Amino acid sequence: MRIFGRSAVAVVLALGACIGAAAGADLLLDDPVAALVGSGPAAWLGPVTETGRTGWNCAPEHAATARTASAAGLPND
Amino acid sequence: MRQPPAPPRRRACQTTDVTHRLAIAAACALAFAAPIAGASAQTYSRPTAAPRTTDASALSAQARQREIHERFERGVGAEERSDWAAAATEFRRLVVLDPPEPKGSTARYDLALAEIHLNHFDAAAALLEEALHRDPRFAAAAANLVAVHLRRGDLTAARAAADRFVAFAPDSVLALYSRGITALRAGDLAAARSDFRKLIDTDPSYAVAHYDLALVELRAGRDDAARVELEHALTLSPAYARARFALGTVLMRGGRRADARVAFDRCAHDAVDPALRALAIDLRDRL
Repeated sequence: MRIFGRSAVAVVLALGACIGAAAGADLLLDDPVAALVGSGPAAWLGPVTETGRTGWNCAPEHAATARTASAAGLPND
Repeated sequence: MRQPPAPPRRRACQTTDVTHRLAIAAACALAFAAPIAGASAQTYSRPTAAPRTTDASALSAQARQREIHERFERGVGAEERSDWAAAATEFRRLVVLDPPEPKGSTARYDLALAEIHLNHFDAAAALLEEALHRDPRFAAAAANLVAVHLRRGDLTAARAAADRFVAFAPDSVLALYSRGITALRAGDLAAARSDFRKLIDTDPSYAVAHYDLALVELRAGRDDAARVELEHALTLSPAYARARFALGTVLMRGGRRADARVAFDRCAHDAVDPALRALAIDLRDRL
C-alpha cells in the first residue's frame, strides 16, 4: 500500500512536470524572450574574523573587490 | 767539626709549582669562561610579566576586550560550521559590546550573515546598512546588502545599494555584476547594458556576462546583437545550457527552425536543471 502510494505520487509528479513543460513550451512559442531569465545573485560572502579586515588575508573583502569573475566567486550559469 | 755543606736545596718541587700555576690559570679561565658560555647559550629573554592592576575600570576594560575576542572566535567558528543560531547569539552580544572600528562593523556584518541564513532578511539589511554607516568602504557588506535586497524583492533598495557599491569599488566585477542584474530585473536596459559591457571589459572570459548582455539586447529587440553575445558565451563555455537555450529561442524567432532544433537538442543534452531539460526537449520536438 505504501509502495503503491509512493508510485502514485511519482507518477503525478512526472505528469505535472510534463504538463508544466508543455505549457512552458506553448508560452515560449508565443513569446520566447519573456521566458528567459537573467542570472541569479552572487553567493553570499562568508564570515570575517576579528582581525580579518585589519590584516591582509580577508577572503570576503578580496572577493568583493576582485577584478575577475572567478576570484569574485560569481555564478557560472 | 765542620759539617759538610748541605746539598743544594732543590727548589721545592719546581714542577709542582708550575702545575699549581697552570691549575690556577685554568681555574681563572674556567671561572671567567663559565658566565660567558652561559650568556651565549641563553639567547631568549625572560617572559614579560603580565601587567597587574587593581584599578576597577582597567580590569573592566581588559575583561571586555577578552569577551570581544572570545565571542568573535566562537561566532566565526559557529558560522564556519553553519550553526547560524549559535553564531547569531555570539554576534548579538558583540553588537551590544559595541567594539571600535573595524570590529564594530565586522560584528554587524557577521550577525547579518547569520540572520540571512536564519531567513531574517529585514534584520540582515538593517545590520548591513549599519555596518556601511560605520565603514562606508566595507565592500563585502555592500555586496551582501545588494543580494539581501534582491532576496527581499526590494528593487529600489537593491539599486541604491548597488550604486553605492560601484561608487567606491568601480573596478569590482562583483559590484558591476550586482548592479547589472539589478538593473535588468528593474527593466532599465540602458543601465544594465552599460554595466554588463564594463564587466566584459574587465573580465572578457566571463560567459555569464555575455549571456546577461544578450538578454538585455533581446529585450531591446536587437536579436542580432543578442545572438553575437550568446555565441561569445557558448564559445567560452560550450556546456552553458541556459545560453544554448536562449540561442535556440533567438534562432526560432528568426525563422531558423533547423538551427534552433539543434540548439534545443544540445541544451537538452547539457542541462542539469530538469525543468530546462524538459522544456528544451519539448521545443525540439515541436520544431
